[in-house]
Amino acid sequence: MTPAPATAPGRTATPVPRRAATTLVTLVVPLVVMVATVALALSWRDRLPDPVASHWGPDGVDGASSFAGLVSIVPLLGLPAAVLAWWFAFAAGRSALSRRTAAAIALWTSTFACAMTVVTLSAQLDVDHWSQARDLDGGLALAFAVPVVVALLGAWVTPGDGPAPAASPVPDSAPRLALPDGGQAAWVRRVDWVHPAVIVAIVVGFSALMGAITRSWWFPVTIGAFLLAVLVGLSGWTVTVDGRGLVAKARLPRPRLVLPLDEVEHAEVVDVHPLREFGGWGLRVGLGGRVGLVVRSGEALEVTRTGGRRVVVTVDDAATGAALLNTLAARARG
Amino acid sequence: MLIRLDPAAPEPIYAQIAAQVRSAAARGELEPGERLPAARDLAESLQVNLHTVLRAYQELRDAGLIELRRGRGAVVAAGAARDLAPLADAVQALASTARRLGVPPETTLALVKEALR
Repeated sequence: MTPAPATAPGRTATPVPRRAATTLVTLVVPLVVMVATVALALSWRDRLPDPVASHWGPDGVDGASSFAGLVSIVPLLGLPAAVLAWWFAFAAGRSALSRRTAAAIALWTSTFACAMTVVTLSAQLDVDHWSQARDLDGGLALAFAVPVVVALLGAWVTPGDGPAPAASPVPDSAPRLALPDGGQAAWVRRVDWVHPAVIVAIVVGFSALMGAITRSWWFPVTIGAFLLAVLVGLSGWTVTVDGRGLVAKARLPRPRLVLPLDEVEHAEVVDVHPLREFGGWGLRVGLGGRVGLVVRSGEALEVTRTGGRRVVVTVDDAATGAALLNTLAARARG
Repeated sequence: MLIRLDPAAPEPIYAQIAAQVRSAAARGELEPGERLPAARDLAESLQVNLHTVLRAYQELRDAGLIELRRGRGAVVAAGAARDLAPLADAVQALASTARRLGVPPETTLALVKEALR
């Protein structure tokens, strides 16, 4: 661990912002959707066979379960996801990225459970026996697409952080570098996660396997294209430190990390263990409200931001980035 | 890659940018095939005109350090190790010496051709 910075006492005292919005998006909305889904399912009960069809294979419907067993998927899957996401955002959601991630997880999981239930049940309305249930096709596509759209929408409506300029000067202990008077400076580094060719190979293999199992082509192709766009779009990042602050961008426009210069308290080099501190690799939200672009273990640039927030980016030559950020922040603060 | 601009320095801004990209490559910070920041992004970061960065990139391309590809931007060239900067510097020195001695361009070129034979 690095020594605690001078501003450390303020960190724990900063309250987590936007708790009402967090509760609304990660808890109330999923609950309303889940209650509505269960209510809809109950209203359909007289028109459904008993037991109900619950599983479809390549040759159509091939499994059944009790009505209660099928509908219980909604609370069993959706409730823990919503409560955990809400608790995380409520307790540690100091950064917009944390709150948006929590909103997306809560909404995706709950609406996915709901959509699957609605699609499954609507395919067997007014049939006498579960084996007569219709094919899911278009409904299945909707059940995959709608939760993604709802999750993105939820992340989008989740309020951002708002401006929070630092009040204290950059501590003298923070590393600096020499900068000509009045001269601009920029530090740019690439952060590569996984080579796009590896992603293409894995996704194509996965889609081919799925195609072989389901004996259909449109479903694996759609899922594969979606995965490919997201994973390749987020596989390579550019980290920039300049007179505006720190920005980490991938090929996709969102998500990204943006840290305005006037919100930088100080920057330093730290040692990061992705699995232990962030539970994995990628754009992560860690416990304690740390957010980060974490693609490997080892050297990382850590910025202490106003509002008790911390941003971590695993990047080579982090010392130069940290020193430039400190220097620019100190100069801007006069 | 760190780029610091000094408005008080005698070298023009584009030359400062080119020199610092060149030394980043020499230090091994830029690998062949790696993409340089888009000229527009770098111009915004450094608060200089887009054409200043483009001119720096063109100079680096002429030196064989990067390739400029339409749609892909500036990519560090495979043969970037073969940096032609010393030659460019020597040509610059030749030109200024010729100017200082008042030797007309035709004569200078003739001398260069003679030397290359």
